[in-house]
Amino acid sequence: MSNEITIALGQISCKVGDKKHNMETMNKIINQAKQRKADLVAFPELSLTGYVVRDRAYELAEPVPNGPSVRQIEEIAKKENVHVIFGMIEKSAKASAVLHNTAVLIGPKGYIGKYQKMYLPTHSVFEEKRYFRPGYQIPVFETEIGKLGMFICYDVYFPEVARMLSLKGANLIVCISASPSVRRGFFETLTAARAMENTVFLAFINLAGIEDGLQFWGGSRIIAPSGNVISQAKYDEDDLITARINYSDLVRVQAWVPTLRDLRPEIFSSLREEAESL
Amino acid sequence: MLLTKEALKLDLPLTATRLKRFIKDYVRKTKAKGAVLNISGGIDSAAAVAIASLALGGSKVLALSLPEKETCNSTDIKHTKMLAEKFRFNLETINITNVLEAYYKSIPDFNPKDALSKGNIKARVRMIFLYYHANRQNRIVVGSSDKSETMMGYFTKWGDIAADISPLMDLYKTQVRQLATHIGVPAEIVKKPSTPQLWPGQLAEQELGVKYETLDLVLLGLENFIAPEEISEQLDLPIKLVTSIKTRWLSKEHKRRAPLTMKMEYRTIGTDFRLPYTLP
Repeated sequence: MSNEITIALGQISCKVGDKKHNMETMNKIINQAKQRKADLVAFPELSLTGYVVRDRAYELAEPVPNGPSVRQIEEIAKKENVHVIFGMIEKSAKASAVLHNTAVLIGPKGYIGKYQKMYLPTHSVFEEKRYFRPGYQIPVFETEIGKLGMFICYDVYFPEVARMLSLKGANLIVCISASPSVRRGFFETLTAARAMENTVFLAFINLAGIEDGLQFWGGSRIIAPSGNVISQAKYDEDDLITARINYSDLVRVQAWVPTLRDLRPEIFSSLREEAESL
Repeated sequence: MLLTKEALKLDLPLTATRLKRFIKDYVRKTKAKGAVLNISGGIDSAAAVAIASLALGGSKVLALSLPEKETCNSTDIKHTKMLAEKFRFNLETINITNVLEAYYKSIPDFNPKDALSKGNIKARVRMIFLYYHANRQNRIVVGSSDKSETMMGYFTKWGDIAADISPLMDLYKTQVRQLATHIGVPAEIVKKPSTPQLWPGQLAEQELGVKYETLDLVLLGLENFIAPEEISEQLDLPIKLVTSIKTRWLSKEHKRRAPLTMKMEYRTIGTDFRLPYTLP
């Protein structure tokens, strides 16, 4: 595993429902990121389709990994010798109307794994539970570019997801997102908090552009385990940022703020009890 | 939540930037050549035409001034010209009096004393002129409805509310005033009392029975799920006034939605047929 890697965040706006167009955009960005020597290129939540697809979710969904879009990204990743994370609507291999909001991780040798969004916002402008089944797994992937974990957008409000990833050994967490502008303040705080409380690197990649009157605020960022923002993309508009991170920094921060050392596991069982009786 | 003037304060540069981007983005995605708006000389249409001109450039904006003899006045004409000079949009004036009179004459049981029904014809005729120009010149119709009036149902169904996009519809009237001032709409337009101009002497605050400064705070409270009793206490208003605003807001939902239909089939328009705006 490399100790030092370059992360690229492709902050794009999508053409809603047009997978071909969005795939071309991602391909172009991967190419540009590779010229900047990126080892990993990440794209926002549902970057293959756009976020506000509503009932079109069923026709846009594909199986993971055996669908055409994953295959296409595999080819690009192989050609560019790069890791890619992107978001798509996943159709269950067992039941075609069962969908997931999924982050897919692909490496130069092909498909590595996926994360299915656990917390599906269904309030305000969001209607995800209407379409998606929540995920039940919080996997960490051992790759050539680090131990990677992923979560998606609203999951950031639930610290247990990032905590589980860090307990499983993740040293880089990638949060793919489609966060509209009214939520910017929350996300700026919460993404930094998730990095700090788990002493991990956190890459937050948000959608840009406007869909159905929702302005996605961009502002993607790579955050150090100390909570410092290493690199940040423009607000609201398309952008591509890269930053080099060094996993050796983790020891220094983890010794300085040893949150994992100081964990109190006995609280977790009472947390469960309290949550069940809410 | 405290219902104070502060709660309605906008980040004005950010609001202006986002609205400009929204208009520009929609025009680009629809491949339209520009925008057409109705300009009355009032605050809402002034703010809408100004922000559209700043977004697209005045040369891509056509403002239609559509006066008619009963409500036409020299102040509004002066203000309209003042805005056109300042924001450099195209201004066309079409007197709609003859069209209106033709309608009045053609409707067998037309009652000139029914000011509301008659006034609604004016708003709907203006809509026809806007959409004619939109169709002919490949423009989008930009509406100027604000949140206060839309929540109160204080507009003409299929009339002044009709538009392809309504950039100001999530801003309360007092917020539109803030924005208008920020983007350079002259103070005399911002401070002028609002009127839908459906009949002579019509004033919005008089008809709504409350000043916009108060109405906006009541509506903000309702938007934020605050109980009428608490709104009344916080703003030191009679509970009757707050509940009447709430009742009016709820009872006008029919004006804000697509026509209600009976659910008969698998997916129904307006209820569970949920599609995104899909642009060419």
